[in-house]
Amino acid sequence: MTALLQTLTDGLLIGGVYGVIAVGLSLVFGVLKIVNFAQAEFLMIGMYVAWFCWSYLGLDPIFGAFVALAAGFLIGAACQRLLVQHVIHAPPVAQIFLTVGLLAVLENGALMLFGSEFRSVQTPYQTAALEIGQLFISMPYLIAFVAAVTISLGLWLVLAHTWIGRAIRATSQNAQAARLFGIDTRVIYAIAFGLGTGLTAFGGGIILSYSAVSPTAGTQFVVLMFTVVVLGGLGSVLGALVGGLIVGVIQSLSTLVMPIQLQNLALFVVFITFLAFRPQGLLGKGAR
Amino acid sequence: MKRSLLLILILAVAALALGQMLDPRGYNVRVLCLVLLAASLGQCWNIVGGLANQISLGHAAFFGIGAYTSTVLQTLGGITPWIGMPVGMLFAMTAALLLSLPTMRLKGPYFALATLAFGEACRILATAFPGITGGPQGISVPFVGNSWAMMQFRGAGNYVYLFTGLFVVVSVVFACLSHGRMGYLMRAVRENEEAAEVAGVNTLKVKLMGSLISAALTAATGTLFAQFTFFFDPESVFSASGISIRAALIAIVGGVGTLAGPIIGALIVVPLEELLSTYLSSKAAGIAPFTFGLILIAIVLLRPRGLITLFRNRRPSGART
Repeated sequence: MTALLQTLTDGLLIGGVYGVIAVGLSLVFGVLKIVNFAQAEFLMIGMYVAWFCWSYLGLDPIFGAFVALAAGFLIGAACQRLLVQHVIHAPPVAQIFLTVGLLAVLENGALMLFGSEFRSVQTPYQTAALEIGQLFISMPYLIAFVAAVTISLGLWLVLAHTWIGRAIRATSQNAQAARLFGIDTRVIYAIAFGLGTGLTAFGGGIILSYSAVSPTAGTQFVVLMFTVVVLGGLGSVLGALVGGLIVGVIQSLSTLVMPIQLQNLALFVVFITFLAFRPQGLLGKGAR
Repeated sequence: MKRSLLLILILAVAALALGQMLDPRGYNVRVLCLVLLAASLGQCWNIVGGLANQISLGHAAFFGIGAYTSTVLQTLGGITPWIGMPVGMLFAMTAALLLSLPTMRLKGPYFALATLAFGEACRILATAFPGITGGPQGISVPFVGNSWAMMQFRGAGNYVYLFTGLFVVVSVVFACLSHGRMGYLMRAVRENEEAAEVAGVNTLKVKLMGSLISAALTAATGTLFAQFTFFFDPESVFSASGISIRAALIAIVGGVGTLAGPIIGALIVVPLEELLSTYLSSKAAGIAPFTFGLILIAIVLLRPRGLITLFRNRRPSGART
């Protein structure tokens, strides 16, 4: 029983972070109607930014994550203006391969710049844990989870209560109508894309305290991120957060019944099943 | 049709002649083999990706199944790859059938995602059962000396025949499909699936046929790859970037949906890859995939119909050989 509770807790804590990592992907799809295969690379970029902040400025990765958010926003917005904007109305094959190309460029660019070695940080709370009854709550996981919840609330506030947020939602619902109301949708596209990549980079920053960074750090998350957003419904921001929690729990529960090598297999099965039978996701309504 | 077959014939003769001229143990003949292999792989992808516009990012699954089936049969029972190859093709077709059950109705990015996950799932399965596959350490083709019966040779020289044979088979299948009734049905699906359905095309059947043929040929390519390299692991044959995306890249660089596309693509991608990894990889690891990422982006933005458009600018855009 304790083991089950412990696994559930771990799963939820990790899942909250998955939510933030994937919410960016969902946001980009919701607004631009483009599946960004390179999204996970921004996780890797965020991890590197936070690592350099820690290494050279002595900044804790949780604060470095905010620098990563800014960097992810700028790089993402630039990629959108220079590259993605040109394929917004192109057939899916062009969109898929543009972002797949971007994935290869970012991953291998990082390899050329930083080398293949794993880099990790040391923090004072790295091995600390809270003890509640028989439950151990790892401090780095808890801190990352709190940061993830905080930024999600921040995103909700921005989307619900600011002009930019309303403009983003308007563009995602009907770009043409938004243009008629005087919204420069091209600017909104860049902002939404940057916000999405920034959030994923933020997620990279907050996981740095318990996970090392290397150029392939992002690629490992590609299928996981897509599982999260497909579970929640591609394009749904709330869905991505809920999907993150579910994926975290599935992943850690599966370690109880399956060998660790097969951990991700459970995810893939859930993923393909959901794509086939409920592509609109758990929370989505009607057909896509 | 005649022009397509003539093109294949000329290229096959050229490849064989080149194979005769080059040192059979040298490096250049190896590159020739790799070009033929890449062209075949790209053409396999082109059958579903180009003709029917089913953007698969999971062809590594079929490639790996082909490589593992023939190799495991050799290590377990000394069974020749000439039998292992068709068995692998059958397995790959079964896998394609299983995959198509949940994915056949999916479109564009959704289909791409599902196939990507399928390839990754195969990689994990191959890693998780070391008893059969050798696990993450990889598996070796047992070497018995030069032998046509066991489809293996010391130098790269004899592989030119094998790879040319594969290239001819895959290309002829593509040409026949493309010019035949099936090709028109697949292109109808590509242009407008709903319209095709309304016009009486059984779109599910068409897509399924395409993916079965493509899967089987990809598996055969995988078997030859295993015989050629003698050693591989799950990371190399089930690799999303190394096999699945590369197959698509080769077709896209040359020209999606055309017979010449993957051939042009392979002639550009493989030599470039060899040059980059020979001269620059010591200075900067990752420069080859980095460059291919850039090429992919440039092609999508500047020449979305592939480099083949450089040769046929004045033709109406619908024309195809």
